[in-house]
Amino acid sequence: MGENVEKQQKQKLALLSNVNMNLVIRMLRKQAEVYEAEGYGNELGILMNPSSSYHAFEPDITFLVEDLMELLEHDLEPETAVEKMDRWFACLESALLAKEIYYIGDAYLRGPELPAADRGRKTALEGLWQKRLEAFCKAHGNVRILPCHHMIETLGEENAFSPKMWYMGRILLSNEAQKRLCELILDKVRIEYRIPKKVLLLDLDNTLWGGLAGENEHTPVLLSEEYVGLAYKNLQRLLWQMQRQGVLLGIVSKNNEQDALEILEKHPHMVLRPGAFAARRVNWAPKHENIRDIARELNLGLDSFVFWDDSPAERQLVKEMLPQVEVPDFPDKPEDLAPAMAEIFREYFEKPFITEEDREKTAQYAAISERMRLQESAGSFEDYLRELKIVVRRVEPKKHAERLLQMMNKTNQFNLTTRRYTQAQIAEILEDPDRCVYLYNVADRFGDNGITAALIADCRGEVPVVTDFVMSCRIMGRNIEDALVEDVEKDMRGRGWNRLRAMYVPTAKNVPVSGLYKRLGYAEVEAAGGNGVLYEIGLAKTPERRYDVRMDETQG
Amino acid sequence: MDAGKKREIIALIEEALNVPEGTITEDTMIADVEEWDSLAHVMIIGELEERLEISVPLEEAVELTGVRELLEKCEENF
Repeated sequence: MGENVEKQQKQKLALLSNVNMNLVIRMLRKQAEVYEAEGYGNELGILMNPSSSYHAFEPDITFLVEDLMELLEHDLEPETAVEKMDRWFACLESALLAKEIYYIGDAYLRGPELPAADRGRKTALEGLWQKRLEAFCKAHGNVRILPCHHMIETLGEENAFSPKMWYMGRILLSNEAQKRLCELILDKVRIEYRIPKKVLLLDLDNTLWGGLAGENEHTPVLLSEEYVGLAYKNLQRLLWQMQRQGVLLGIVSKNNEQDALEILEKHPHMVLRPGAFAARRVNWAPKHENIRDIARELNLGLDSFVFWDDSPAERQLVKEMLPQVEVPDFPDKPEDLAPAMAEIFREYFEKPFITEEDREKTAQYAAISERMRLQESAGSFEDYLRELKIVVRRVEPKKHAERLLQMMNKTNQFNLTTRRYTQAQIAEILEDPDRCVYLYNVADRFGDNGITAALIADCRGEVPVVTDFVMSCRIMGRNIEDALVEDVEKDMRGRGWNRLRAMYVPTAKNVPVSGLYKRLGYAEVEAAGGNGVLYEIGLAKTPERRYDVRMDETQG
Repeated sequence: MDAGKKREIIALIEEALNVPEGTITEDTMIADVEEWDSLAHVMIIGELEERLEISVPLEEAVELTGVRELLEKCEENF
C-alpha cells in the first residue's frame, strides 16, 4: 500500500475549464502538483496546441469541468446547441493523448434566463451533453465522467452557485461547492491508483435482515417494503448493484444452514438470492476460519476481503485474527445501513471504470466451486482436464487494452516477471510492430472465464524474448499455460524465428511459476540481470506437453 | 459593530488567505498583504456571504482598499 500512496502523491494533475477555476486549483495544490493555465476559457486551445505550457507540464490526469451555459454561449435552441457540443467534443478528441487519463464533468445547466425558458429545456440540454459524454467515454478507454452534477444536486443549487463571485471574477461555484469539487477530484485520483478490494463478506442475522433466522413462528425476520424491514431491503438493493459492478459477495454467518437457506431462497423480499453469492459459509465454526477457507477456495489473498457484521465481538475477533481483512464499522440504526454501505463501496471497491470481466465475476467465481467438485469425482487429472472442455481463443489486444493493463498490474502469482505498466506504456507496446502481444480468452464447460492470460514477446533483438507472461489464478492448475506457450512458439515459428527465449524474475509471490519454463523444456542460458533467469528453446522441435485445450482460431 | 463580530470577520479573512492569526488588523491595507490578490479577494467576499450572511454589494466590493473600509461595508450590509 505504501508504494501506492507514494505513486498517488507523484501524480500531476490539470484542471481546465471555461470558467475561473483558479481557487480550486489553489486548493488542489495543497495536496498535489497541479497545472495552472494562463487565464482560463482557452481550455481547448491549450489542449490542441502541442507546444502549450500544459503539454510541457505533462499531467497524468486532466480534469475538464465545463460550464455548459458558457459553452453554449447562452444558446438554448437544441439544434444549434448540439452543434456546439459536437464541436467541443471533436476538438477534444483531436487533442487526446493515449498516455493520459481524462475526467470530463457532466453538465449542470444554470443561467439567468432559465426561469423563463421552455419547461424541460434544462434537462433536455443536460441530457444531450450526457449522451455525448457517455459515447465519448465508451470510445476512449482513458476518458471517464466526473460527477459534478450530483455534487451540485447534493449541495443544492442555491448553495452551490455564487452570483456575486461570478460577477466579480467569473468564479461560478460557491466556496463550499469549490471545496467539494476539490474533494471529488482528489477522490477520483485516489480511486484511479489504489488497488480495490474484491470480496465483501456479510453476516446474515441483523445484517442482511433484521432479527434471527429460524425463529419464524415467534418472530419473523424483518425484511419488507416498510419500516425497518425496508431499510434492510434497501441495503440488499445496494449490494445487488455493487455485485453488478464486480464486487463479489459472500456469506459468513453463524446459523443453521437450513434456516438461512429457507430465507435466502424463499423469502419474498430477499433481493439477494443464493446465486448472488460467490461463496457461502453458514455454520458454527469461527468466522476467521471460514474466511481463510473462502480465500483458499477463491484463490484470493486475504487482503482482497472486507468483512461486515453487526456483532462488535465478531468484528473484533476477525480484526485480530486476520489483520489483512478490512473490517469497517457497523451503523447503530437500520436506516443508516444503506448509506454506510455506500461509503464502504466508495472507500474500498469503487473502480475508475468497469470492464465486462467485472460484470461476469460472480458467475465465474461461483463456477470455481463447481469445478472443484468435478475434480473430486473425475478420477485422473487427465480425465479431469478432458472433462473440463477448455477452449482458448486469442483476442485482439488493441481492443482490450484496459484489460491487458489491469492484468499486468494486478497479477501476482502467475506472473513470470511482474513488470508493471502505465496506460501509456501499454499503448506504446501495442503500437510497436516488434513487440507481439498475445491475449487469451479462456472458457470451459462451466462458463466463460473471460480474458485471463497474456504474453508479450519482444522481437527487437537477435532472438525474441517472452518478457511477460501473466495468467489469472482463476484458471491456474489446468496446464492451460502449456497450450499458451505452444501457441506463442507456433506463432514465432511462423514469423521465421528458430529460437525463443523467455524470462523469469522471482518475487515473494510468484514461486508457483518458478519452474515453469524448465518444465516446458526450456534450458537456462544465463542469469538475466539481478536475480532473473533467461531461458531458451529451439523451435524446430519442442517436447510433447500434457494438456487438453482446444484452440479456437476465430479472432475476437 | 461589536468587537466579537469584527474578530469573526478578521478570522475569516485570515483563514481565506491562509495566513497566521494576528496578521490582519483593522489597519491592514489590502495592497500590503501578498496573499490578498484579486482571486483571494473574490473568495473573501464569497465567504462573507456564505458563512456570515454579509452581502457586500458588488460595486462596493470591487472598490475596497483596506480592512477598516471592509468592516464598515459589512456593518452597513449585515
